[in-house]
Amino acid sequence: MDNGATMHLAVSLCPGTTDASRGAEPEFDRLARFAQKAEAAGLDMVLLADAAPASGGDAANRQVPFEATTLLAALATVTSRIGLVAMASTVAHQPYNLARRFASLDIISHGRAGWHATMAQAPREAANFSRPGGFSRDDFRRRTEEYIGIVQGLWTGWDADALLFDKGGGRFHDPDRMHLLDHKGEFFSVRGPLNVARSPQDRPVLVLSGLSVSDMDIAARTADVILLEERPAEETKASRDDLKRRVAARGRDPDAVKVLMDVLPVTGGEPAGLADKLEEQFRSTSCDGFNILMPAELSAIDDFVDLVLPELRRRDLFRQGYRGATLRSHLGLGGGGDQ
Amino acid sequence: MTAASRQMKLGAFLWATGHHIAAWRHPQAHVTAGIDIDHYIQLARTAEAAKFDLLFCEDAAGLREADVGIASQTSRSIGFEPISLLSALAVQTSRIGLVSTASTSYNEPYGLARTFLSLDHLSGGRAGWNLVTSASQIEAANFGSTGLRPHADRYERAREFAEVVTGLWHGKLDGTSGSGHDGQSFSVRGPLDLPRSPQGAPVMVQAGASDVGRDLAARTADVVFTAAQTFEEAKAFYDDLKGRLAAYGRERDDIKIMPGVAPVVAETEAEAREKYEELQELIPDDVGVALLSSYLSIADLWRYPIDGPLPELPATEGMQSRQALVIEQSRRDNLSIRQLARHFAGARGHWRIVGTAAQVADELQARFEGGAADGFNVMPSYFPGELDAFATLVVPELQRRGLFRKDYEGHTLREHLGLRRPA
Repeated sequence: MDNGATMHLAVSLCPGTTDASRGAEPEFDRLARFAQKAEAAGLDMVLLADAAPASGGDAANRQVPFEATTLLAALATVTSRIGLVAMASTVAHQPYNLARRFASLDIISHGRAGWHATMAQAPREAANFSRPGGFSRDDFRRRTEEYIGIVQGLWTGWDADALLFDKGGGRFHDPDRMHLLDHKGEFFSVRGPLNVARSPQDRPVLVLSGLSVSDMDIAARTADVILLEERPAEETKASRDDLKRRVAARGRDPDAVKVLMDVLPVTGGEPAGLADKLEEQFRSTSCDGFNILMPAELSAIDDFVDLVLPELRRRDLFRQGYRGATLRSHLGLGGGGDQ
Repeated sequence: MTAASRQMKLGAFLWATGHHIAAWRHPQAHVTAGIDIDHYIQLARTAEAAKFDLLFCEDAAGLREADVGIASQTSRSIGFEPISLLSALAVQTSRIGLVSTASTSYNEPYGLARTFLSLDHLSGGRAGWNLVTSASQIEAANFGSTGLRPHADRYERAREFAEVVTGLWHGKLDGTSGSGHDGQSFSVRGPLDLPRSPQGAPVMVQAGASDVGRDLAARTADVVFTAAQTFEEAKAFYDDLKGRLAAYGRERDDIKIMPGVAPVVAETEAEAREKYEELQELIPDDVGVALLSSYLSIADLWRYPIDGPLPELPATEGMQSRQALVIEQSRRDNLSIRQLARHFAGARGHWRIVGTAAQVADELQARFEGGAADGFNVMPSYFPGELDAFATLVVPELQRRGLFRKDYEGHTLREHLGLRRPA
């Protein structure tokens, strides 16, 4: 039972970092070991960053040679418990395609997949997607809101008991338990249904970041996890309280949305120092946990897992291991999976 | 030409519970294939152990059947999204090629180029993209389109799409001033933020067989999948397509033509026939007619007497080449709608061979050595049984005849297929 006393922990693999120690080991094997290490430590999830910049300058700094959803699928086959969340842009994908991709990832991972969407437009991304002018801030917000509604609607187009597999009777599925979306909106029209089965979590976990003040209601209505950038504790506390209020106002259980704070660990710092900082922030902001922005170096995850985590556990701030099998269950979220 | 100098290429075409429309009802078919990743990992390992060149996933961004009642009697309404499926298989295999279909109508070239290049990196240079323009109204309704684009427009968009994708893969759209693409359908600045492909560029595959489709293939494809019932059809297509290559400065060997083949193979011919009849018996009439209707791009085939002949059909904006193939077969064999529907449902207009390993090998050899194919895209009736049967019965027979490799020559899909690495 998630009683708020223990924190949720995600680790992010950041693009743009370089690893001087990188030798002949294939890049995927290195990332797989990173995810396996995080899994052995019982962390809630790994967040896989993704970026599609339009300029040559950024490209040179990229480290991960994989697009995030394809990487997630591959990592799903070499892990068994940890949640895997991929960033995917609402500009780069059509909502129907993105909904399919993540429903499929949730099935491949047996209920451990999440979609990380951002409310902030990636600079210059639109220039690669036949939208050289990009979107106005307001258009982008309304479009993203509509987009998320479509994706979440498509995910539940098939009832959990729709597939019959009745060979003798010739009934593969029950047509009455398959529902059209029939969405017609300002930016999209999507008939549905998805041609992927309902996934083990019912809906893959939705992680939202890049929120401005005007995005708070969208997040309160749709998100499972909200990431807040690292700011002074009192600001984080205010944002967190505001979000939870809005969640409740929407008729949702405030605990059904987890607010995690981004943290950039200072490398070379004392492990107890980071543990102190996390404990202090956890208590003062009432956040639900942290998203550790980790350089994709094995030494960084090793340090966190081997030195910081035992300290957090000693203080009863982090659970000992996994209690369920799905990402929703790690996060203490409702809906789907093995609650 | 000696057998050792030229060997056939083989694709393992994975689709739902099997290529036979009633496959899922077969007692040995794995009915939960569409939600079971371990099943696909097993199929991939079977195909890799048999030294297949590639796995191929077909795709559509929507249901297959307009009628939900018909759809519910097939296993084709749900399945894995193929990019995620192949990405998972990429790290569970080490040699076999991984080819997925993706539409030029419902994607943007930058995103598609990036995704396939990522699959290529995950697999160490084993990815391929099968370009389709998408011909179904069902898909169009999932992408805000009020209607299907006319055939010629779809292909013009596809041509521009392919040009941008290969430009990105080859590093031509490098983000420098003036290098960007600004065309009729797309504007893309570039570059891709991923390193260059381990095989130079992912393999380009196509299946469109109309005149404009053939020209696009001659211009851009490395591999062409096709449907051909008879040797003559296969040979005519092969010669026509290879003949178009010179106009684009390419050589005949730069494209591998791999017609689909739907074998039903067993230890004896009688067993093979029995297996085939068992599958045919499982096809409901309404499902067979609906499938035929969708391939003919007409909605009201059920209005015509099921034991009568196929009616005269108007030209459509759908799949022109496939339609012509079906009509020709119905006239040639004097088939009723029911007979055609059953016959067609079994192999979806592809070439069906029912027999022993030696009989199947004879037929494949005749088309391969007769200059009608460079290899074949194998479409097992149901999974896993019929892929296992091909791998354990037909592959060793082809190897014994020197017609197929005993081990992989290289590590990338381009190496398997004997394709040049792009500069």
